[in-house]
Order: sequence, then structure tokens, then C-alpha cells
Amino acid sequence: MTTPVLEIRNLHARIEEREILKGVNLIIPPGEVHAIMGRNGSGKSTLSYVLAGKEDYEVTEGEILLNGENILEMEPDERAAAGLFLAFQYPIEIPGVATMTFLKAAINAQRKARGEGELTTPEFMRLVKEAGSQLNIDNDMLKRPLNVGFSGGEKKRAEIMQMALLKPSLAVLDETDSGLDIDALQVVSKGVNALRDGQRSMLVITHYQRLLNHIVPDVVHVFADGRIVESGDKELALKLEAEGYANYGGEAA
Amino acid sequence: MRPNFPVRLGAAEQALIDQLKSAGADQAAERISVAGLPTRRVESYHYTDLKMLLRAIPALGQPANEASAPALRVPGAFNLMIANGVIQNASTAPAGVIVGKAQGGVLTTRDDVLVHVNNGLAKEALTLTLENSVDPVIQVERRIEGEAAHVADALKVFVADGASAVILETFSGSDAAHVGNHATYMALGKNAVVTHITLDLSARGVSHFATNEYHLGDGAKLRTLIIHAGAGLSRTHLFPHMGGAEAHADVTGLNLVSEGQHADITMETSHAVPHTSSQPLFKSIARGRSKAVVQGKLVVARDAQKTDAKFMHQGLMLSDEAEILSKPELEIYADDVVCGHGSTCGMLDEDSLFYLLSRGIPKAEAETMLVRGFIAELLDPVEDEALNEALQGVVDGWLLGQ
Repeated sequence: MTTPVLEIRNLHARIEEREILKGVNLIIPPGEVHAIMGRNGSGKSTLSYVLAGKEDYEVTEGEILLNGENILEMEPDERAAAGLFLAFQYPIEIPGVATMTFLKAAINAQRKARGEGELTTPEFMRLVKEAGSQLNIDNDMLKRPLNVGFSGGEKKRAEIMQMALLKPSLAVLDETDSGLDIDALQVVSKGVNALRDGQRSMLVITHYQRLLNHIVPDVVHVFADGRIVESGDKELALKLEAEGYANYGGEAA
Repeated sequence: MRPNFPVRLGAAEQALIDQLKSAGADQAAERISVAGLPTRRVESYHYTDLKMLLRAIPALGQPANEASAPALRVPGAFNLMIANGVIQNASTAPAGVIVGKAQGGVLTTRDDVLVHVNNGLAKEALTLTLENSVDPVIQVERRIEGEAAHVADALKVFVADGASAVILETFSGSDAAHVGNHATYMALGKNAVVTHITLDLSARGVSHFATNEYHLGDGAKLRTLIIHAGAGLSRTHLFPHMGGAEAHADVTGLNLVSEGQHADITMETSHAVPHTSSQPLFKSIARGRSKAVVQGKLVVARDAQKTDAKFMHQGLMLSDEAEILSKPELEIYADDVVCGHGSTCGMLDEDSLFYLLSRGIPKAEAETMLVRGFIAELLDPVEDEALNEALQGVVDGWLLGQ
């Protein structure tokens, strides 16, 4: 059997004294797109932050293997260099740092961590132009400070562009559909689908089925009270849309 | 409370008194012998207690016969130098620049010991008359060379109506416990446009004092950028006087302090006539056990209606032991103005840092990017590319030089 891109074993995590993840088990083989659906507060976003290595969360039990390697002891930048990418639900605005400068720093830092040479400026410009044109991102936007004054749609497109440039083996998309109108959703989905290449795996976190019409998952998982409670094919998402999360316990958020 | 007069004089005060007397500045000498150096009980020195911080005054500087390396090279700049208070011969001035000398101090008398000392001790002033728009950056290097010395020097700049210039002053010299007291007087004619940058790159043992006085005519535009990045103790006074309608000043400054350093920018902007505006913006970055101070006072005269002025100080703490002190003051006598002040202070934003890390940027590099981003608002308006790059280099050097 080939090594899964992501394997999560009995993952427990808490923030301060509150346990949020209560035994998550998940395996994503290469090339597959898995969706996690669940109501607000079920712990979906926490899972994405714990995967990326945000300091606020403490893992109390379990393992996360990325391409067979345990990443729990790694810093967030090391996880990124190892092939993990998190598309943020709310991308952070960073005044004073030009988007272009940031992209170059990120690409070259990852290349350096993997023992590859830095890109020359013309090489870098060509890659950015290619990635940008598919997502309707022009030069003006790249000159602006990172995410500052970007509309909701621009922020999400910028996230997908970063993903296209950084070429992760696992992309985690945290509520990428939030704040998008139909047109923007299509542009973003098209960008994501262009990155499905049979090798790269994705974990798509959402609470609406809508996104999954555009990014069609191989497997759908239902998340409730800090763990996966049911898994199925894409039909499961339609069933959830029709019936809601009521069958999975807990109070409506 | 018991009256404090006469005060007990320390070695520094005694040396100052002797030096002022030898220069014939009896009044200034008398003042110090009665009141001493200002302590924290003097409001404008509350956070920079000179009596405590300034324990020794070295001998008055003699003409230098050795030179340290230039503190900052800006390609294409026209260079002038004052070394140990002595004006050095300069190369041919660019078109529109008249270089000259004048006797004595340049500052308007005001109740401040550093101003008194400069006016009392500065023997000659470098004068610059700018007749029209000057393309190259004008760099005035102020050096204190050789053995530890007390040096007072002065620069006086006249900018003609409609002229424009970028003037950079750098402060540097040998690695000794100098005390520098520098004065700059600048008069901007109608619609003149000036960017004035002062950059302290003195050695750590130096005490650096500077007083910049600006007079703005109708429609004049001034941008200042004061950078403290060298001396162990530094204090720069800024006195912009908005004396012409539609005059505008972006008064900006940056304190960069590390372990053991103390930097202070004290501004008092006076809006004297109707329809003037100013936008003072200061930033302080402190690490180790260090102290950064910004005091900013806006004075609006009774006649100065429609004044628009907002003071801002933003502090970034890179350690738990650092101190950043902020004191805004408004003194408004007019009744139809928009004036305000604001102050913020904090550590690097955790969420921003995590975002950069999550893209594979290592922590040290991510922190540097965020700090640069914090400062960008001050450096970006410096349009001359070579100068901007040189200043960025200074900031980067500070960031890397833990």
C-alpha cells in the first residue's frame, strides 16, 4: 500500500483547558480530495490550525503523519516546507509588506529548506505571472501590501495563488467558500481544481455543500463534537444539505 | 517640600559651567550653576533625567586630525562635513546651492539647557542657501573624532520660495564617550518643499543631542525623519513653526533601541497662523532592557483657526524588559480646529507571525519582515532610491545586530 499523504491517528487537542479535538482519525491517500463538513463550533477549523501548527493549541494525544513523517514536533514553517499548506478562512492583513516581497520570501524559504537553490527574479516573476493570470490577479494587486484592502474574493484568490506557487503535497482549505459570491466561488474552485493532479491531496473544510458542487470530493466526512462521526462518498454531502446536522447530536449553533 | 536651590552640582555640570564660561557664555553658565541639569521634576525632561544620565562632560573638542569611515554612503549625494565643530572644505556645490559660514549659534533662544549650551559653544555655523530645486541629496556629515570630546556644531539652511531639496544629516565618529550637541535651523520660503532626515549612527558610548528648528512660510511642505540608531543616550528636539497659511509638516521619527540604550524624541509644533496642518508620526522599537521616549506637543495659537494636526506614536516591544514611553500634549487656544493624538504599544502580532510561518518563512525572517512592515510607513515616503536603500540598510543592520 502506498503511504498516505495525510494520516491522523487518535488526535486529541485542547486550547487552554477546553478539549476540542477528541480522537480524530483520518487517512487521505495521494491524489484524493476529502471534505470535512460539520456545524460551527464542531472543531473543524481547530483541526486545520492544529495541522498547520498554531501555538495556541496543545496536542495531548495522537499523531499526525505527513507523507509518513510525524510533523507534531515541527514548527509551522518546517511543516510548510514538508509540503503542508493551509488556505486561511480569514487571511491576515499585513501592512507594510508587499505581496510580491512576501511571495518571494515564502517560495525561496521553502526551496532553501528543501536544499534547492533560490529562484532568480525573472524566474520568479514568470511563475507569479502565470499563477496570477489564471486567478485574475494583476500586477497592481501584487504590489499592494499583503491582503490589505483586498476584498473577500481577492483574499481567497490570493490564497489559492500562494498554493499554486508553493505546490504543497497536502492543501487544507479552511472554509474557502466563506465570503465569496457565485462568480468568485467559480474562479477560486477553478484554481483549486487546476491543482488536482492525481498526486496532490486536499482536505476541504466547509459547512455548506455548495462548494462541493465545484470542488468534487472523493470522500466526505462528517465532523461533530471533535471527531469524525461518519464518512461516505459525495452523496453524503447532499444528504447533509437536505437533513442538516441534527442527526449527529449536540445543539444547533 | 524643601526648596532645591542651590542644587548640588555634579562633575558634568561643573565641566559645563567651566566650558560655557571659557566661551564667554556667562548667562548660560550662571543658569546651570543655579538650576543644574534638568531632572525628572522638570516636565520636559521627565523621562530623560539628564542629571542622572549625563555623568561626565569630556573636554571641548579640538580640530580633528584623523577620520573614521563615513557612516553612510549615499550614491550621488553632495557631501559636506563638520568635524569636531570645524567646517571642512567641500567640493563644488551643485547648481543652486550656496555654501557658506556664519558666526555662532543658530537656534532661537528658548528655555532649554541643550539649546543654551549649543548657542553658547557653537563657534561657527555651516550655512546653506538653496536658490531653486536641488536634485542631488545634500548630505551633511557631522563627525566627532579622536579622544572623547564635547562638541557643539550648527547648520543653518535657507530654502528659497518654490525651491525643493532633500537634506540628510548623519552623526557619527570615533568610538569614544563623546557628547555631541547639534543644532539645525531651517527656514522654508513660500511653497518650498523639503525632506530633512537626521540619522544618528554614533558609537554606543556617545551621548547625542540635537535640536532642529523649522520655520515654514506660506504653502511650504516639510517632511522630517529623525532616526536614532546609534548613541547610548540620544535626544532630538523638534521645533516646527507653522508660520504661513497652507504650510504642512509631516514630522516623523524612529527610535531604535537595544540593551542599555535610551532614545528620546521631543517635539513641539506651533501652529501660529490659520490654515496650517501637521501630521506627526513617530515609531519606537525597543528590545533588551532599553527605553524609548516620544513626547509630542501641539500648540495652536488663538488666531490659528482651521488647524489640522494629529500626533501619533506607535511602539513595538521586542522584549519584556523594554520600556516605551509616550507623552502627547495639546495646547489649543483657537476654537475651530481638528487636533488629536493617539498612541499604541504592543508586541509583534501573533496571528501575522503565524501566517508568515505557515508559508514556510522561518521565524527570524518572518519577524524581520513584520518589523520592516511596521517601519515602512516612515521609509516609503523617502523617494530618492539610493537614499531609501541606504536607510533600509541601516534599519536592516539594526534588526540583524542583536
